[in-house]
Amino acid sequence: MGFYRTVTWPWPLSGDEQEAVYLSLRVAARAVGFGLPLAMIVALLLARGRFPGRFLLNALVHLPLMLPPVVTGWLLLLVFGVEGPVGAWLAARFGVHLAFTESGAALACGVMIFPLMVRAIRLSVEAVDPRLEQAARTLGAHWVDRFLTITLPLAGPGVLAAVVMGYTASLGEFGAVITFAANIPGQTQTLPLAIFSALETQGGEAVAGRLALVSVFLAVGGLVLAEFLSPRRLK
Amino acid sequence: MIFRVFFACLLLLPFGARAADTITVFAAASLTNAMQDIATLWMAGGHPKVVFSFESSGTLAQQIAHGAPANVFVSADEKWMDDLAKRHALLAASRSDLVGNSLVVVEPKQGLKPVKLGAGSNLLAVLGPDGRLAVGDPAHVPAGIYARQALQKMGLWEVASARLAPADSVRAALRLVELGEAPAGIVYGTDVKVTPSLGIAGIFPPDTHDPIRYPVAVLKAHNTAAARDFVAFLHTQPAQDVFLHWGFTAP
Amino acid sequence: MLRVSLEHRFAGVSLTMAFEAPTPGVIALFGPSGAGKTSLMNAMAGLLRPHRFRMELDGVPLERRRPEYRGVGYVFQDGRLFPHMSVRDNLRYGLRRGGAGPVKFDDAVALLGIGALLGRRPRHLSGGERQRVAIGRALLSNPRLLLMDEPLSALDQARRDEILPYLARLRSVLSIPIVYASHSLDEVTRLADTLVLIEAGRVVAAGPLTEMTARVDLPLALREDAGGVLRGVVNSHLPERGLTAISCGADFVWVPQITAPPGTGVRLRVPAREVILAVESPRGISVTNILQAHVVAVAEDAAGHAALVSLELGGGALLARVTRDAAERLRLAPGRPVLALIKAMSVDWHQED
Repeated sequence: MGFYRTVTWPWPLSGDEQEAVYLSLRVAARAVGFGLPLAMIVALLLARGRFPGRFLLNALVHLPLMLPPVVTGWLLLLVFGVEGPVGAWLAARFGVHLAFTESGAALACGVMIFPLMVRAIRLSVEAVDPRLEQAARTLGAHWVDRFLTITLPLAGPGVLAAVVMGYTASLGEFGAVITFAANIPGQTQTLPLAIFSALETQGGEAVAGRLALVSVFLAVGGLVLAEFLSPRRLK
Repeated sequence: MIFRVFFACLLLLPFGARAADTITVFAAASLTNAMQDIATLWMAGGHPKVVFSFESSGTLAQQIAHGAPANVFVSADEKWMDDLAKRHALLAASRSDLVGNSLVVVEPKQGLKPVKLGAGSNLLAVLGPDGRLAVGDPAHVPAGIYARQALQKMGLWEVASARLAPADSVRAALRLVELGEAPAGIVYGTDVKVTPSLGIAGIFPPDTHDPIRYPVAVLKAHNTAAARDFVAFLHTQPAQDVFLHWGFTAP
Repeated sequence: MLRVSLEHRFAGVSLTMAFEAPTPGVIALFGPSGAGKTSLMNAMAGLLRPHRFRMELDGVPLERRRPEYRGVGYVFQDGRLFPHMSVRDNLRYGLRRGGAGPVKFDDAVALLGIGALLGRRPRHLSGGERQRVAIGRALLSNPRLLLMDEPLSALDQARRDEILPYLARLRSVLSIPIVYASHSLDEVTRLADTLVLIEAGRVVAAGPLTEMTARVDLPLALREDAGGVLRGVVNSHLPERGLTAISCGADFVWVPQITAPPGTGVRLRVPAREVILAVESPRGISVTNILQAHVVAVAEDAAGHAALVSLELGGGALLARVTRDAAERLRLAPGRPVLALIKAMSVDWHQED
């Protein structure tokens, strides 16, 4: 936590409130950090790949966008919960618990923002002229090489936009997190969950108000950053 | 370059480390204020930190059944506690009844019309021609289940069931009345206590519904000494005084 | 030897093409736009997978290798420089992946005259500069075969004239074969060793440039700018007469004095309509070159007013276009000895290296 403690808040937040903010930032960073490489691969497959099952992959990726978040959270619980096939295996093999943990909150956020990131990256990959990739190919670059040296740098602004968008969306994720990771202060109680709990508490409006203000600041900050990183500015 | 900075930041992020003796308490939403006061008392005595997750008892029980890392569970009814007992999730010896509560009809203080509960009840008249009665969802919220029992016992269920506004939790039902969305609601006596603008229009006789008891238990999977101590503390006089202050009754 | 054969069908177009050509040297694919040149090149690079395809270079079959391992450099019509890299990084892209080879970075930069551009981004280059960098990038991947698909077609005449000398230098310095697609006869006659004529997805004819340009049975001969090509060596300069003698086999061809020193290889292009034929030696005439020749073939043009005459000289072959009337008067027929009269001023010359 040392990294964050060096930041002084310009307005008073209680320790628990600060903890919810830090937790949200951390969870969002992990959701984006672990989701991004996978999102890039999937976006590339969808943008450039011609393979059977492409439609199915596309549908699967977009599922969290279409489903009620609660359903996504519940499905995660069925798969990654202690009784779920993957969750039981992780617990037995590595002693890793995802449900109702901070990592689980990150997983839930990651799944929810995955379609957003894939979409943003895919659009920017599709905007890259495939003839440049052909040129790289004749110069001896295999597909990973081409992706890293041609496609990714040219799609860079879109990838950055995906990061900012994913991070900001992660901060606001509610339904899937509360279902899969519950609402435990300091462990899985992210900003929106803390606001929800505060509103459920008599006299919690002040807390909710302060946290809502933080949310607004973070969202606006994300928008400003996204604007700053937009392709138009980087050109 | 920007990516490298980003990933560097990512690596610097510490994973949430928690003191080993922190007590995580899953408690029914209606206990929020009382439990927070008691936790303040507890920690003032130099005891380990307590964190709460307040939700409807059903939600909390489901989460515990799926492995949520709670040390202590306080349910608003016996049913969910029984459910966990059947799953062998409880430290059986630690289970006990903590407090009781009353079931009341709540209305805004301003223009409060007393409700007669029993034969010849005027409950529906209070609702007016199209007002609804706010309750916890009788399908799963304990307060709603008690409300259904009471209404059935008094022979009002047939007509009243069409006029309900079921809410996700008893607090949500209370809020409907507070915001004027419903002219009246059925909630716990303790809920009215914490809402200055609302008043009790009538109290359901205890024999119209199952006794409202809040059982508490330590969870087997996260059975720590601190958790057992905290449960013991809940039964001490200072803690019980706080419960009384917030309108709870003896179990 | 480069041997290529292809069968492909797409969107109602059917391609059936095959040719072979000696290596090294420049193999020109000549034909109108849409004839199938680019498809053929894409197949040779591996970017297109035709239904049937064979490609063998100096005995090595290449058709099964993937483009990135085929060792075929490709200069695209539109350059396709990587916009996010400097010129230097563009050039090094192939160098780092193609492995070591005879082409060195500094040599390629000097050969193409792009030393001053290394730090720039492609969008700050002129069209001509861009194509030179694209050529350098392909060269530096040290390919076994270099494809150039109309590399000059997107440029105006001034830019073409700027680049053509670099390409001519390339063909003499490089020991790798170059396949050069173009619809410009001028470019082709300046660069090609082997000419492959392509029309509507078929190879019409293929052979050495000097033979192909003198044939009367090819559509090439019907063009307004038809003409034969002679290859020779600068023999001597006659400054007092303002002439240079170029030896083409047994013949000397005189041209207005040029700067290239004796021993320099040159190719001469003689427009068909500038060749005068005579059956006896004329006297008192301004024409400098009077060469002995045999008629190889005679054909009429489409309208039937002109006769195309293929001539065999001591050191090459030429094409002449005269009126049908003249052909009849001189009784031009295969085997007939004639004199070819060529004004020194009508001969275009280009240095070979």
